[in-house]
Amino acid sequence: MSEEHFIVIGNGPAGHHAAVTLRLEAPGARITLISKEPHGCYRPHLLPKWISGNIKEEALYVCPVEDYKKMDIKFRSGQKVVSLNPVQRELILDHKEVLRFSGLILAVGGKPRIPEPLLVFKDVLFTLKTLEDARVWREEVSQVDSVLMMGGDLTSLAVTKALLRLGKKIHFMVNEEAFWPLRWSLSLFEEMSHRLRQKGVEVLADQRLKGITRKGDHDYEVKVGRQTVRAGMMGAFFGLRPDVRFLAGSGLRLDRGILVDEYLNTGFKGVYATGDCAQIFHPALRDYWVSVGHDNAVELGRTAALNLVGNTVKAEAAGKCIYETQGIKVNTSWWTEF
Amino acid sequence: MTKQVVYSSSPEDFYYMDVNVPCQAACPAATNIPAYIRALFEGRYDGSYSINHMANLLPGVLGRICSRPCEDKCRHGEPELGRPVNICHIKRAAADLRRKGPPPEPGPFASLGKKVAVVGAGPAGLAAAHDLATLGVSVTLYEAFEKGGGMLRYGIPEFRLPREVLEEEIDYITATGAALKTGVRVGIDVAIEDLLKEHDAVLLAAGCYRSLRLDLPGEDLPGVHPGLEFMMQVCVGKPPRIGNKVLVIGAGFTAFDCARSALRLGAEDVTICLRRTEEDLVVTKDEVIETKTEGVKIASLMLSRRILGKERVEGVEFVRTRPGEKRGKGKGEVIAIGGSDFVLPADCVIVATGQRPEPLRLAVGDKKEEVLKADPDSFSSTMKGLYVAGDYLSGPSTVIQAVGMGRRAAERIIRDLIGKPFREKTVRMEETEITDRNRAWDYVPRQEIPTVQPVQDRFRTPGTEVETGLSPEQAQEESKRCYLCYLHYEIDIKRCIYCRYCIDVAPRDCIKLVKEVKTNEAGAITGFTETTHWAEVNAIMIDNSRCIRCGECMRVCPVNCISVTRVELTERMAQGGDHV
Repeated sequence: MSEEHFIVIGNGPAGHHAAVTLRLEAPGARITLISKEPHGCYRPHLLPKWISGNIKEEALYVCPVEDYKKMDIKFRSGQKVVSLNPVQRELILDHKEVLRFSGLILAVGGKPRIPEPLLVFKDVLFTLKTLEDARVWREEVSQVDSVLMMGGDLTSLAVTKALLRLGKKIHFMVNEEAFWPLRWSLSLFEEMSHRLRQKGVEVLADQRLKGITRKGDHDYEVKVGRQTVRAGMMGAFFGLRPDVRFLAGSGLRLDRGILVDEYLNTGFKGVYATGDCAQIFHPALRDYWVSVGHDNAVELGRTAALNLVGNTVKAEAAGKCIYETQGIKVNTSWWTEF
Repeated sequence: MTKQVVYSSSPEDFYYMDVNVPCQAACPAATNIPAYIRALFEGRYDGSYSINHMANLLPGVLGRICSRPCEDKCRHGEPELGRPVNICHIKRAAADLRRKGPPPEPGPFASLGKKVAVVGAGPAGLAAAHDLATLGVSVTLYEAFEKGGGMLRYGIPEFRLPREVLEEEIDYITATGAALKTGVRVGIDVAIEDLLKEHDAVLLAAGCYRSLRLDLPGEDLPGVHPGLEFMMQVCVGKPPRIGNKVLVIGAGFTAFDCARSALRLGAEDVTICLRRTEEDLVVTKDEVIETKTEGVKIASLMLSRRILGKERVEGVEFVRTRPGEKRGKGKGEVIAIGGSDFVLPADCVIVATGQRPEPLRLAVGDKKEEVLKADPDSFSSTMKGLYVAGDYLSGPSTVIQAVGMGRRAAERIIRDLIGKPFREKTVRMEETEITDRNRAWDYVPRQEIPTVQPVQDRFRTPGTEVETGLSPEQAQEESKRCYLCYLHYEIDIKRCIYCRYCIDVAPRDCIKLVKEVKTNEAGAITGFTETTHWAEVNAIMIDNSRCIRCGECMRVCPVNCISVTRVELTERMAQGGDHV
């Protein structure tokens, strides 16, 4: 049987919309959507509002899981891809099952980045990317009066707002490396610090984390430069890095993300990458860029799906907000809401 | 009961070793890795060190700075099996935890009455000198620098390789009788032709000490340093002034050493600039992580076009690249993307894009200089009695490759001097008992080597060693992870009752119902035609290339028809003499 089997890895906004577009464009194809998270597609940018109780959990979800069945999309949740062979067109799941495909879209997204010099503290730093992370935040935040925020990416600002709504005392260690996706500048730093202070946040003057000492349950002493801060928990917000380590050795070209052409193709026939795991050289920008933000992800997901079924649609970079970070230009559509 | 031991020189057994003990096959010095890991597990640190020393001569050094080709091939790193065993750091643990003192050496052997000069006391020269000396040759090492060690001493920073470790292992080598003459520049102070007159053979292992240039405009500006020269200045304690912002152009170990050394010299902003991507780096993952942890940035997909500046370097103009087609096992070409140029400012630029051998004069006073060539298999040059090995022959390689090549060159020289091989590779097979390895050990997480923390403490002195070594407990825990691929499990099909219990407990598809066995010309098993139809089954076989040596099959077998043999690639005296 020569049935087309398209697999989409990742069920964030890009992966979800890629799968839905594939269903519309290829009605007869078998479609499998694999997600390592144990639930359906949700809107990650709303997680801070859920942490503060401003919205209910149901409002996070894009659609009920049952909808995939209605769309004839096989949804495999809680399953993780550990290896890919784009030549043999097969992938291995961590429970050893081998899946074969005729077309593949990688929409694996990013995972929270902690700069290497701070990795030694990673066990006591909380990050926020997934619904599970958000559950942990809700649990932990309920037990503390104060939080030390480190970094300065867009999620950090949204979480700060959420924590202020909950009446928590916030210390903020703004880190030069963490202006993600915006690029660090003194004026931006001063503007951000000013806004944070206006909202009652204590912005620390130094950004050199010297050490963290656990003094008791939910009680940490943090040395930042010459200053010492007591906090109940610490959050790390240094942007995202594409979650592509499992592709090492697969033959796919990896840099920060998966290197693709302007049609989101990886160089292997029928294998595409999309969303914020795809790294593209864009002639108009004269540089590489990655895309972040819900709206861009949706658009790129659709673009990859259209190209997989035979179209030639270019990934759109113009007309959005472009910033540079870590040597890569970033296309974001949702930063302005902060 | 005496256990049966069989030595084999059959090609099929060598093929078996290549396929089934992938770590040892990947080691250029053919180190018996499962054996030394098992020895360490049993607490025999001296034995573990000796097994290493027998093959690679520098366990303490290599346990720190080896490029670890074995770990890339470790079966524990296959997609569904997790991460490779931390082989390198187990080697270091054996060196750290053993009783101090020289390891046992082969021999003693009677003098062969032959004299050999070895030019260059780097890893290849030291390895060759060791083997020649222990086998009864009178050896003199000629070293141009003040001390022996070559690139180990003058190219690798002390924070990765403490000098006392290096000196101790060089001492073990010179203790075998090899005389070390330092400060002698062959080609300048003494002619190769004269060495050839005074010795029965000369081995040239003078390394690669000439940095490659980018050949770009601005490369001769003050503040631009060739990578190797920079590292040599650092290693002798006379580093150049570098300023705050440093760009390192290059992707190898030297580039990384330069970047980390620059931080220790006070630079605040250090970036390694890659033409390709981090994915294409040949340096070890640990090295990349530690380099980033210390604060070095790694920027990728950029090709230098011009070095900018008036009085001294002020920056570098780059252009973006994209990876081209890969050809064979190579890295593939890099394609510059037109119109994507950009400039990065710099106070100092270090160009670490490779090295090549220094051309030599054959006779003192000769005007003509040349890089001497040799056959890579026989190491023989066109001059009678002159052999070439190490980086001088192959171009820049790794320490373990240089050691392996030095040893092979020594073997060839002895063969030519006495007219027959002195020792030979052999496959040693010994019946053994099932080990205490069990399935739970497959889930032990990889034990990573501890490092100096917080990071600032690494910079207190330039020589503070970053990796502090596995504790005895960590080393033993890590050693449990090794599958011990040198154990060969086999089903005696004459006694097998085909109950299939072994297949039921097998953790992966390692036991097969076989219709046909495929073999190569040497008679080695290369594959199986499996069947699910009983009528077609001719045998039940363990596929040792898939077997993870958990022993579950043996434990459940009701008729004890599964046996274990320890199969090791080793060396012995040629013509069946004593084990070397």
